[in-house]
Amino acid sequence: MRIRAIGNLLIVAATVVLSYGMQVSKPHYAELTAPIPIDGAMHDTVRARSFDVRLDRMVFARTLKTNQFGQERLLTTSGLWAVAATNLTATSTSTTVADGTWQGPTGLRYRQTERLSYRQDMPPHAVDPELERSGLFVFELPADQIRGASLLIAARQFGPLDAQARISLDAVPTGADGQPADVLPLYDLDAPAPPQGQTRQDQTRQGKT
Amino acid sequence: MSAVSTDIDPAGGGEKKWRRRGLAALAILLPLTLAETSYESIREWLHGEDLIARDVEFGQGAPFGGSEWRLADLRGGKAGRLPEHALAVIATFAVTVGDPDLQKQWLGCKVMLTDAAGRRWLPDFISGVSLPDGVMNCTSAIFSGAKKGEIISVGETFIVPEDAIETIRPAIGLGSERPWFLRFQRPPK
Repeated sequence: MRIRAIGNLLIVAATVVLSYGMQVSKPHYAELTAPIPIDGAMHDTVRARSFDVRLDRMVFARTLKTNQFGQERLLTTSGLWAVAATNLTATSTSTTVADGTWQGPTGLRYRQTERLSYRQDMPPHAVDPELERSGLFVFELPADQIRGASLLIAARQFGPLDAQARISLDAVPTGADGQPADVLPLYDLDAPAPPQGQTRQDQTRQGKT
Repeated sequence: MSAVSTDIDPAGGGEKKWRRRGLAALAILLPLTLAETSYESIREWLHGEDLIARDVEFGQGAPFGGSEWRLADLRGGKAGRLPEHALAVIATFAVTVGDPDLQKQWLGCKVMLTDAAGRRWLPDFISGVSLPDGVMNCTSAIFSGAKKGEIISVGETFIVPEDAIETIRPAIGLGSERPWFLRFQRPPK
């Protein structure tokens, strides 16, 4: 009889321990329904569920120049501007790609800047199957968030269980201090884009002139 | 619950029998619960997607969303500012309005082009290309105040890659008819 009582007690104790363990290790609902990352590198075409994206080039600058309603505006920052130029297409149905997030090396996440007014080359990007479209994603970042970062691109900001392209930015050359090797003093968003197929080295050279 | 407890016969196998019945009931009740809780979501999803095509011959009209839809014209070509290897396409429908409550019947109106591979293009704005005179897009048509029996022209402009142009077919989806949508045969060459 006593053995049976001890046995029952053990079972109860084990159940309590197991239940507690399950409770503390239970993933948050947001984690369970988080976007599903699809990894890729710069210059690769990353195939998400509803769109394909290729990161063609990254430009870093201290100041951004843009035209707003015919007026020139200079946007300064205490950190860096990062401009990601991407090439986007839809996989099977016309759709929009709206969300870009910069994920720093320690996991800090930066949303796209809201300091730029509406521009045609800024999200949301309307994309069609088999028609390539270039689109920018612009971020304002602390300089130490560049090395080892990733660019996350998704159709929507809250897309539970939808695909999210995660493009590693290891190809961005950085100096010993972790800052990008090439930072332009001024980048004009309205300057004509360099021709397609140009290599990154060409870009760099162009940036320096 | 009370019905169950009164039936239990403590001396005989009544409890065992009811336990077995309870288990069997679970096998029925669990799937039923799942079906009941997901019914609304599934219904909503079906009403938001253009899933099942209803094919319509060219020149024929088909009743859809309370009105009669007929493909009037489908034309494509180089016009306006277009990406490389792409063409502008204008699809026009002649619609005989039946139920004039278009705001209810045509809610979520979506004109699209589909190709042989199942890809779909939605309307695009093309600078330098506009709809022919007297043709309005679907959203404008909803608020046009068209009366019963009136024939209106509904059209949209699209950007389509050159290699898909040979097989594209116009299609139309309406909130009141989903998951069904109309897919029209192309005009003969």
